[in-house]
Amino acid sequence: MSNLESLKLELKNLGKEYAKLKTLEKTERKAFGEKINQKKNELLKKIAEEEEKLESGALEKIDLSAPFGINESPISFKKGTVHPLSRELALVSKIYSDMGFDVIESRQLDDEFHMFESLNFPAGHPARDGYDTFRTEEGFIPPAHTSTMQYRALTRFRKNLDAGENIAVVVPGRVFRNEDVDATHEHTFYQCEGIFVSKTASLSQLLGTWKNFFETYYGEKLNIKTQPGYFPFTEPSLEFLIEKPKALGGNGWLEMGGCGMIHPNVLKIAGIDPEVYKGFAFGGGIDRLVMLKYGITDVRYFESGKLEFLKEF
Amino acid sequence: MLISLNELKKLTKIALSDAELFDLIGSRLVEIESVEDLSKKYKNIWIVKVETCEKIEGTHLSRCEISCPGKSETPIQVVCGAPNVRAEMLAVWIAPGAIVPATFGGENFEIGSRKLRGFESNGMLSGLDELALGDDHSGIVEIDPAFAKPGDSFAEKFDLNDKIIEVENKSLTHRPDCFGLIGFAREIAGILGEKFEEPSLNFELLPEDFNNKEEVSIETDPTLCEKYSAAVFEVSKTNLKTALEADSFLTTDAVFLVKAGMRSINKIVDATNITMLLTGQPLHAFDYDKFLAVGKTDFPKIGVRLARPGEKLTLLDDKEIELEKSDILITSNDAPVALAGAMGGKSTEIDENTKKIILESATFSLYNLRKTQMAHGIFSETITRFTKGQPAAGTVPALARCSALLLDSPEKISALKVSASSASNLAPISVSLEEINSLLGSTYSAEQVIRTLDNVGIELLEKSDDSLRFKVPAWRTDLKIKEDIIEEVGRLLGYDNLSLAFPTRSFKASKTDEILSLASSLRSLLSENLGFNEILTYSFVSEALLKKVNLDPENSYKIINSISPELQRFRTSLLPSLLEKSYENLKSGFKDFTLYEINQISEKSFGLDEDGVPVLKKSLGLVSINSSFYFEKAVLKEIASFLDLDLELRPLSSHSFFEPLRSAEIFADNLPLGVFGEFKNSVLKNFKLSAPVSGLSLDLETVSNLLKNKKSAAKTLKLSRFPFVSRDLTLRVAAETPFETLEKSLNETLKNERLVYELSPVSIYQNKNNREGKNISFHLSFAAENKTLNSAEISAIMEKITKNLAELGAEVV
Repeated sequence: MSNLESLKLELKNLGKEYAKLKTLEKTERKAFGEKINQKKNELLKKIAEEEEKLESGALEKIDLSAPFGINESPISFKKGTVHPLSRELALVSKIYSDMGFDVIESRQLDDEFHMFESLNFPAGHPARDGYDTFRTEEGFIPPAHTSTMQYRALTRFRKNLDAGENIAVVVPGRVFRNEDVDATHEHTFYQCEGIFVSKTASLSQLLGTWKNFFETYYGEKLNIKTQPGYFPFTEPSLEFLIEKPKALGGNGWLEMGGCGMIHPNVLKIAGIDPEVYKGFAFGGGIDRLVMLKYGITDVRYFESGKLEFLKEF
Repeated sequence: MLISLNELKKLTKIALSDAELFDLIGSRLVEIESVEDLSKKYKNIWIVKVETCEKIEGTHLSRCEISCPGKSETPIQVVCGAPNVRAEMLAVWIAPGAIVPATFGGENFEIGSRKLRGFESNGMLSGLDELALGDDHSGIVEIDPAFAKPGDSFAEKFDLNDKIIEVENKSLTHRPDCFGLIGFAREIAGILGEKFEEPSLNFELLPEDFNNKEEVSIETDPTLCEKYSAAVFEVSKTNLKTALEADSFLTTDAVFLVKAGMRSINKIVDATNITMLLTGQPLHAFDYDKFLAVGKTDFPKIGVRLARPGEKLTLLDDKEIELEKSDILITSNDAPVALAGAMGGKSTEIDENTKKIILESATFSLYNLRKTQMAHGIFSETITRFTKGQPAAGTVPALARCSALLLDSPEKISALKVSASSASNLAPISVSLEEINSLLGSTYSAEQVIRTLDNVGIELLEKSDDSLRFKVPAWRTDLKIKEDIIEEVGRLLGYDNLSLAFPTRSFKASKTDEILSLASSLRSLLSENLGFNEILTYSFVSEALLKKVNLDPENSYKIINSISPELQRFRTSLLPSLLEKSYENLKSGFKDFTLYEINQISEKSFGLDEDGVPVLKKSLGLVSINSSFYFEKAVLKEIASFLDLDLELRPLSSHSFFEPLRSAEIFADNLPLGVFGEFKNSVLKNFKLSAPVSGLSLDLETVSNLLKNKKSAAKTLKLSRFPFVSRDLTLRVAAETPFETLEKSLNETLKNERLVYELSPVSIYQNKNNREGKNISFHLSFAAENKTLNSAEISAIMEKITKNLAELGAEVV
């Protein structure tokens, strides 16, 4: 009889012991019952161990420290990658979305009206030259900034205002500037634009909102400062800087983009009464956020399609 | 733009430390790109007298003894190679231990004492180039003994203990006034909270009805030139010397110009440039006699007009240019003499024989000048200022100032002529304190606002209970609406002093564009579940790349000012770029990978949208190396099940880069969604790739619309809690029988029986020696929704399956 069989027999016999319970005095029953129970549990545990032993016995022992079995191929799961810019755009959009901004994407081909006219750049004004725009034979423009979507965002969400709500939209997207490529310059890059319109929008709200975005993004309290700027589509116009976050080693200031109160002409062109509604807008680059985050020193990696770069993410 | 701190300090009181001032400028006026401390650059450089000078025989060198009282009580020996070195002259000596200014900030070359031809040479006598004050290398710099004495510090005498601020021009695009030192200093006073004292300009009150002794006529087009003023006067011979020529003395004016990034030409041209740097108003001087000769007139007949077709002009830099129809010309009796606002003409250039000049101070249409700037590539200090829109009101004061630099009395001006201009009256601006504070989110008092604006010359005209009315100063043509005034208040008082706030919002959930969300889900499927790699590539591609995949470049939008032919066409497909990058990665040693990109494409045949701009489509492109049609089909199946889309595949009769025999078109609800399959061998060859390479292209716009319309139909779950029956089924069919007919038959039968089931293909087998038939095996498991199937019922189901398949010529083996 195997060890297991004898244990099982013992368990069966133990069952018969229960019958004795009835013959005992009531006062003794409890102690007797407990004793049998304890014995039963011990037996069950032993049986389980024996059963386990029996099952494993059929198996060969393997080297648990080896990465794969004898005569087997190395095991690997293919690891895919999402482009770091896509990932950051998604993260940035998510934060703005959590803050209450709708998200729409920017266009990669646009025209003079959206890129300049609707943004209060007078026709032929030298300020248009600051954007180094590309042009197609037909006069279309691969936009040089995501502000090219302001008019569309304002007109598309204008109905919010009639319903007593705000316009709050961010526009991530790819933009283009006609400049030579080097480690810090790309003709193709990403921006994210923010647009907010309400009856009470103010510059201090703009600064508070954008500061909050960067604090959420970096997960720490930040100091901010501004520099006066010039954009025909905002008045006042500012450049926005944050103190370098501790996560990036601290020390110094980082220029994060331009911002300002939406110029009354821009609201007017979009059919919004600037005497009733005020707005603010802000916009900055995404590539730089990624470069800072991962210590990337050459912007050209982004559009290189190199797997050795992408596999780092 | 380069600005001298010392010059600012001459114009306004600055009590702050330099560092504090720079911070304040940055936060309230303009970004400072860099600050150069010249005192370090010009340290230990002295004005010395050459006491003796002897040629060293057989060389071009001279052995000199110089005196530099204060620095050394005994003569110092220096060997000098300059041809103009001579005894008695005052020169500039870079002492041993000093850094040669031209190398400062670079290699920082420290001059020492060394032997030259056996003679000890201590330090060096310096030329303009070594002092980084010009390009001249023909001799050493000579100093006017009436101006300095031996032992004087060079930096002190020439105002080089200075800091040069480089500011970012772009943010001052709307501020022509800040392109002059006076305007910049006014802003400094403003941000310091001080009232700016306007400097007096000499001859400032030149009357417009000046007592003209000779005739001058001006004919302008006010749309091209709002105001044109000209003064005519004789100039002395000394005015014509080049301050930087080796035979003349170095002047403080020359150094002033160098500090602003310009260079000295001669006293007349220098006077125009110095005036421009001070006031922001550019000026130009013509040689009077040459001007008359070109126009063949006996008095100046000045004209301003647009260039005519075919007209040419040789400019001061000796280049002859073909004029554009938008170029504004200055003419002498209709003959072009200058490209207005940009550059003077060669034919009226000031030279050593000039006796009399016509001094011009005018404004020109910045719209035309912008085109001129672009067409001829002229980016001078002059045109930079003109394109900011210098106010017409500044022309005559600048003319007066410049004349005063060249003349000691206004009486010496023989004629002054000002074109009749539409006196541009800048409209006053009204704004309420409430509007200011609500837009800024501030709590400024009326007094604070009024004082702040008054400091920079924006005077209060009228104050009522709910409105402040301000006069716009002549130099602030950019101030037009109340927001402009609010900006000035916010800026001058410091945006950084505003307390921060949040907008209020409702609890309404925000929405993200469906295509963005779709792209984001696809990324997680493709990268995280399937192990693919997302790449991003340029939206612009070469015509050659499109041709490699047989796409017609003419169907793509062409960039006319592209950086290179590589970036000339807006891409009509993502796949060519993916094929290109696949090859590069193969070359780098990667194997068996899939690259994908989600991006916008367009082609002319898509047409224009309701805004009149090209229709763009968000597309998914995917390329798998060493993968067949079936791999891509499996990928597509994953996508379809992930998105819960029913896809239909239709054969492809022809395609520019997919092999029709091994690809298919993707449909859903009869809408084409894209194409997938293997690339043509001829296409792969163009990319140096070898077959099989498969790819997929999906129009996410259409997919997103399908998903949107689907949302309403709630999904009904098909589950059974009864036991499943498993069967393996092998079918013998003719070789040409399509798999899908068998699959369809099985699905129909199982559905008709109201079963919950799973059908998976296991193998497709064909004997190499008998290609007439093939065996297809399925694994099938099914259960009834409401009961346990008994063996009779199971047999009945299997019989139905067999019978239906038999109708298709399939035999169950």
